[in-house]
Amino acid sequence: MAVTTPEGKDKTEGSLVPAVTAEGAPIIIPDQAAGDDLLREFGMEEHPKGGFHGLLEVIPTRADWLLDLIRANSLWPLLSGLSCCAIEMMSTATSVNDIDRFGMFPFRASPRQADVLIVAGTLTTKMAGPLVRLWEQMPEPKWCVAMGTCTTSGGRFKRSYSVVQGVDRVMPVDVYVPGCPPRPEGLIYGMMKLHELVKQRRGQWTTYVDRGPQRVAWEGDVR
Amino acid sequence: MTAVDPETRIPDPIELDRAEEARLHAALGIEPPRPAEPEYAGFETVGIPDRPPVTEREAEVYTLEEGEMLVNMGPQHPSTHGVMRLVVKVRSEVVVDLDPVLGYLHRGIEKLCENATYTTVLTYVDPMDYMSAMHNEHAPAIAFEKLYGIRAPKRAEYIRALVVELNRVFSHGLMMGFLALDMGGLTPILYGFINRDETVELLAAISGQRMLFNFFRVGGVNWDVSDEFISRLSTWRANVGRSVSDNEALITENEIFTARTKGMGVLSGDRAIALGVSGPNLRASGVPFDVRKAHPYSIYDELEFEVITHSSGDVYARYLQRVAEIKQSLHLIDQIVDQMPHGPVQAQVPGIIRPKPGRAYGAVESPRGLYSVYAISDGGPNPYRFRMRDPSFITLQVMPVLMPGHLIADTMAIMASLDPIMGGVDK
Amino acid sequence: MAGALVRALTDRFPELAATLWTDEDTVELQIDGSRNVELLRRLRDDPELHFWYLADAAAVDYGTTEHFEVVYHLYSDLHPAWLRVRARVDRAEPHLPSITGLWEGAMFHEREMYDMMGIVFDGNRDLRRIYMSPDYRSFPQRRDFLLPDDAADSSAAGVNPLERPETWDLSRFRDAVTESDEAAAKGKP
Repeated sequence: MAVTTPEGKDKTEGSLVPAVTAEGAPIIIPDQAAGDDLLREFGMEEHPKGGFHGLLEVIPTRADWLLDLIRANSLWPLLSGLSCCAIEMMSTATSVNDIDRFGMFPFRASPRQADVLIVAGTLTTKMAGPLVRLWEQMPEPKWCVAMGTCTTSGGRFKRSYSVVQGVDRVMPVDVYVPGCPPRPEGLIYGMMKLHELVKQRRGQWTTYVDRGPQRVAWEGDVR
Repeated sequence: MTAVDPETRIPDPIELDRAEEARLHAALGIEPPRPAEPEYAGFETVGIPDRPPVTEREAEVYTLEEGEMLVNMGPQHPSTHGVMRLVVKVRSEVVVDLDPVLGYLHRGIEKLCENATYTTVLTYVDPMDYMSAMHNEHAPAIAFEKLYGIRAPKRAEYIRALVVELNRVFSHGLMMGFLALDMGGLTPILYGFINRDETVELLAAISGQRMLFNFFRVGGVNWDVSDEFISRLSTWRANVGRSVSDNEALITENEIFTARTKGMGVLSGDRAIALGVSGPNLRASGVPFDVRKAHPYSIYDELEFEVITHSSGDVYARYLQRVAEIKQSLHLIDQIVDQMPHGPVQAQVPGIIRPKPGRAYGAVESPRGLYSVYAISDGGPNPYRFRMRDPSFITLQVMPVLMPGHLIADTMAIMASLDPIMGGVDK
Repeated sequence: MAGALVRALTDRFPELAATLWTDEDTVELQIDGSRNVELLRRLRDDPELHFWYLADAAAVDYGTTEHFEVVYHLYSDLHPAWLRVRARVDRAEPHLPSITGLWEGAMFHEREMYDMMGIVFDGNRDLRRIYMSPDYRSFPQRRDFLLPDDAADSSAAGVNPLERPETWDLSRFRDAVTESDEAAAKGKP
C-alpha cells in the first residue's frame, strides 16, 4: 500500500503506514525508527534516571513541563470500581473528601476518555479479561493506580482460587495504595503521589515510540 | 445459535485490528510480537457466546428474531452496583429479554472460610455485602454462638443492634442516592455520601474501621461503647434526620423522579415470594415478612417497632419503603440507647473455639433482605462447611421478570431499586 | 417451642420421625434426594404447615467417600421454628430433582450448587455455571478441590511463582537491582 503525496513522491519516511513497494521489498515499520530520530533530535529520549538532559531542550522542556502539569491536574479517572474499595473511591469523590479540587471530578464511563484507571476492588480471574481490555482501550498517556490490598497483592484473598494476586500481574501499575479499604485520605495521598509521577514522567507509561508489551506475560492462570 | 449469517456478520473491531495487524506482519515478513495462541483467558466471557446454547433458557435469550439485538451492558458500566453483566435482548430500545451474567467478583470466600478459625471467618465475611458489613458479621456470629452453645451478654446484644441499625441507616440512605444517580440525578448521591460519611465516622469510632468493620466476635463484640461515644451519637442523631429529609426533599416529590418510577417494575407479592425476594423489596410488594419480627434474634423482641409495608410494588414503593425504614431504624436507635444496660461486652470464649459437631443456622435482616448463614462444625477449629445465603443474589432473579417491556433506561432504575451489591451476589 | 410443629410433622410423615431432630428453634428432617420435590410441595401447600418461603438451599460435601447433601431451609409464619430438610445425594451420580417448579427463586441456588459442587438438578431449565467461567472444569466447593495454599503445606515447592525468586523479572527495576538480587534471581544462594 504506497502512499503518495501531492508532490508525487512516496511519502514513507515518518509516516505511520508501512509501505510495501512493488518489488515486495519490505520497509521497516517506521514509527519506531522515526520516533527515535525525532526524540533524539529534541533531546527528549528517555533518560534511564528520568528527567531531562541535553542542551537543545529548554523550550520543549518548558512546554513539556507545562503539559505534564496540565495532565497532572486534570487526571480523569475511569469508573472501574469493582468492590468495596469502589465505595471508598466514591466517598473520596463526593462531598466530604472531594477530589474535584484536584481536577478528578468526571469519572468517565468510557475508557477512551479516561487517563487514570483506579482499580478499586478485588480483581478476579473472570474479570481480568475485561479489565485488561479496558486498560488497552485507554489512550496514552495513561496511569494505573492499584487501590486497596486486593489489587496490590491479592490482599485478604491470598489463597483464593479465583482472585488475581495483585493487578500488576496483568497490567503495569504506577501507584499502590494499601488499605482494606484505604481511607479517602489515603487515596488522595496516592493521587498526590501520582501527580508527582506525572510531573516527573516517572510512571510506567512509556512514550509512544518505546511501547513495549503493555502487560506482563499472562498465560491465563494468574493465581 | 443466533440467526446471524456468518457471511455478512459485522466482525468485532478487535478482530479487524488483529486481522489487519496479521496481514501487515505477513506482508512485511515480521514475526508477531506476542504469541498468536492462546488468547486472553477471559475473553470468551466478554462477548456473546459463539457456541450453541446448552440450556433451554440460554436458547431463549440468545436466539434472535427479526429486529432484535443483543446488547452487552458489560461488567464495567456507570451504574454503581459493581461488576455485573447484563446481556439484554432489545428490540429498538425496548427490552425483550435479559440474562444476568454474574461471577465477576467471585472470590471464593466460602472455600477460604473452611480453612480459617471461627474468629477469622468473621473477618472474611465482611467484604461480601460490603455496604452492610455489620449484618454480614452478625449472622455468622449467631450461628457460631448456637454451635458453641453460648449467648452474648446483654450489653453486647444491645451494641450489636445499635451498630446494625446504624449500618441500615447509611445503607438505605445510600440506596436513595444510587437510585437517583442511576437515573441521572447527580445531587442526591452527594447528600447520601454526606450521611454515610458522618455515620461511618461513628462506626469507625466504635470499631476502628470505616467500612469492613471487624467488630463482632463469637460471644459478643470487640470493643465497648463509651459515654463520649453516646454523646457523639446524640449529636449525630440530631443531624441525621435533617440530612435525610434534605435528600428526600430533592427526590420524593420530584416530577421527573415520580414519572420515572411510579408504575415501573411492578412486582406482585406472590411473584416476589416465588422468586425468593426478601427484605425491603418484598415488603414494598405487600408481604409483611421481616426477620426481626419473624424469628427475633438479638434483642429485637424487646424493642418496639412494626413491620412497614407498601402495596404497589413498583420502584417508587421500594424507594419509599427504604425511606420509611431509615426512620424506623432511627426510632430503634433511640430505644437502644435508652435501654442499654451495663455489663461485659464479650463472653468468656477462648481464642480458638472448637464447638461440638453440629449444624446451626443464623438469619438476620440485612438492608437487602434475609441474610443467613448455615454452618456445620466437625469439632475442629475450622468450620466444616460455611454457607452464606446472600439476599442480593436471589433478588437478581427478579430482573428477567421485571425488565422485559421497559426501555433500556428503565433497567437501571429497576436495578437500583432492588439495591443489589455485587460483593454479596458473587461472594 | 417447636412442639406443635414436631407433632404435625410426625403425623404427616411418620417415616421421617425416626431421623427428626429438633433444637430450640430448628426442626430438621432427613430424606433421600429423590423425594425432595414431593416433600417440599406438601410442606408448602399443607394449610397447617404453610412453609411458604424458601430461605436457603445449600449443598454440603461430606468427604470423598461419603455423600453430598442438599439442605433446604424453610420459613412458616404458623410455626416459630425454622425447618431444615436435608436431602441425601449420591456422590457418584449426583442427580436431584429441581425445585424450580415450586419456587422460581431456587434457580440461582441450584445453579450455584451445580457450579460449586457439581450436583445436577433434573428439570432445571438453566443449569449452567454462574460464578466461574463457562469453560471451568472443576467444582471448587468439593472437599477434594485443594486451594494452592493447601498444596503448599506439603513438602513440594510453593505453587505461587512470587514465592520463588528465580522466576522474578527484575529488568523493570533497572536502577534498584543489586548484585544480591541478581544472584537470588539466578537461583544462587
